[in-house]
Amino acid sequence: MNHSIGIGFRKDFAEELLNTNDLKPAFIELAPENWIGMGGYWKKELDKAAEKFPITCHGLSLSIGSPDEVDVNFVKQVKQFLKHYNVKIYSEHLSYSKCDNAHLYDLLPIPFREDAVKHIVQRIKQVQDILEMPLVLENVSYYTSVAAQMKEEEFISAIVNESGCNMLLDVNNVYVNAFNHNYNAKEFIKKLPLHKVAYVHIAGHEQVSDTLIIDTHGQAVIDPVFELFDYASDLIKPVPVLLERDFNIPELSELQNEINRLDAIVSKKWQTNYAIA
Amino acid sequence: MLLFQKNGKPIMQLLKEDTHTQQARLADYCRTGNTPNLIDIKQDNLYQYRRLVFNIASDTLETAYPITYSFLPQNVWEKLVYDYFAEHKCQTTQVWRMPLEFYDYCKEKNLQETLGVPFLNDLLYFEWLELDVHTMEDIAYPKTKEIGSWLTDVIVLNPEHKLIQLSYPVHTTAPTENLDEKKGNYFLLIYREKQTGNVQFIDLSMLYVFIIENIINGITLNIILEEANTLLQINDIDLLTQHALTFLEDLKQREFVLGFLS
Ligand SMILES: [Fe+2]
Repeated sequence: MNHSIGIGFRKDFAEELLNTNDLKPAFIELAPENWIGMGGYWKKELDKAAEKFPITCHGLSLSIGSPDEVDVNFVKQVKQFLKHYNVKIYSEHLSYSKCDNAHLYDLLPIPFREDAVKHIVQRIKQVQDILEMPLVLENVSYYTSVAAQMKEEEFISAIVNESGCNMLLDVNNVYVNAFNHNYNAKEFIKKLPLHKVAYVHIAGHEQVSDTLIIDTHGQAVIDPVFELFDYASDLIKPVPVLLERDFNIPELSELQNEINRLDAIVSKKWQTNYAIA
Repeated sequence: MLLFQKNGKPIMQLLKEDTHTQQARLADYCRTGNTPNLIDIKQDNLYQYRRLVFNIASDTLETAYPITYSFLPQNVWEKLVYDYFAEHKCQTTQVWRMPLEFYDYCKEKNLQETLGVPFLNDLLYFEWLELDVHTMEDIAYPKTKEIGSWLTDVIVLNPEHKLIQLSYPVHTTAPTENLDEKKGNYFLLIYREKQTGNVQFIDLSMLYVFIIENIINGITLNIILEEANTLLQINDIDLLTQHALTFLEDLKQREFVLGFLS
């Protein structure tokens, strides 16, 4: 029985997920932005999904690293959504997707700098105050750093430690970044605030050249990423693990195989069963 | 420590101007593609950001406006999307609602005149509304009874609908079929079927728009028809009633008329 591995809820396979047993995730994850204020057919599907599975949320537009002010109304909308669907984990990206009042709908790398840390810590606290729950922030993949004055792991650690937020450890992102920026993935993981990891992501990616991997979420998870997950799972407490597959969706049985493989890795070391909702 | 004012604005600005500038330059680059002046970057990989960001925007617009996309010459569409994303600051946090801002942008810039496509606004609006009605928030259905009098009971309509007026028949005619020569007054009813959630379109004449608008206002059909008879100078109430009843029966079949107010 799979207790801790979930799947990203995609419209592409929603119907199949809801009407067959080909895929048996412990929970589903969705982006609140894709569902807030939606009615009609997709609202019904969402409600069916919520009856069948616990839900975690993984946001896109909070833009915690933005120079802008926090969009308080948006955070309140998210809060309402989380409450309605009894969501206990709301994660977001340690990046920015909005700048000077323009949304970009993708994740840009924040300069690894002390002033950015202070600025973001302040914003995290503000968001957490509104939500009345901790944010869970994800280490993102990036293709170039910008104007960095400190190391990525120092940047992440400072933010997590100073803000009191939790961390989403995206194992694939560590792998992708280690490849793209030439560092050792395991060494990097060891330097993260692992006691604050509350959620894990794992995904596939695409290597586009000898020196570049793009974090696509469109391929199967590769063996070295499973291996890195195995390594990381020894260092953290039992937490929900999410398989991300956003594009190029295969037969659901293939996704189930990946879930099984992840479950096999953690079930031998994580004895605790915990409720996600 | 008090970090924020009541309006959510931070009391202290902790982000340095220089860091903000770097962030803004990267964001501007993603919107415009113009080479930015950034410190300590991996130059070879920078364009990935422009590519990824811009692809999301243009894919979203292509999906929302498939007819416009395939009608406009490729270079015209591309320039349109390029200009929009560079000039307009997207406001919605929900990318699937962003195409509405594109429609507003085209309207504000009066691009239908610039591009010589007089029906552009109508076409975009029509395409947007299909998406909009499909996803619009659920509206509670009023309580209805199945049996009633068409003439004297209040007729209940599916509340999940939009009634719009167009200057070009973009809903019945492909843009390639001399659409620009068909300027006129067109009325379109767009509604969402309760069970399936599918969006349906019905082309309406002025008379039927008059009837539907009055039904929405809670007026009974006998009064609506009397008024229509005089207003539109039809002078044949029996014939008018017959037409109206056929029309409403048809709308009932199509799940737009739900029944009678109970
Ligand atoms: Fe992730």
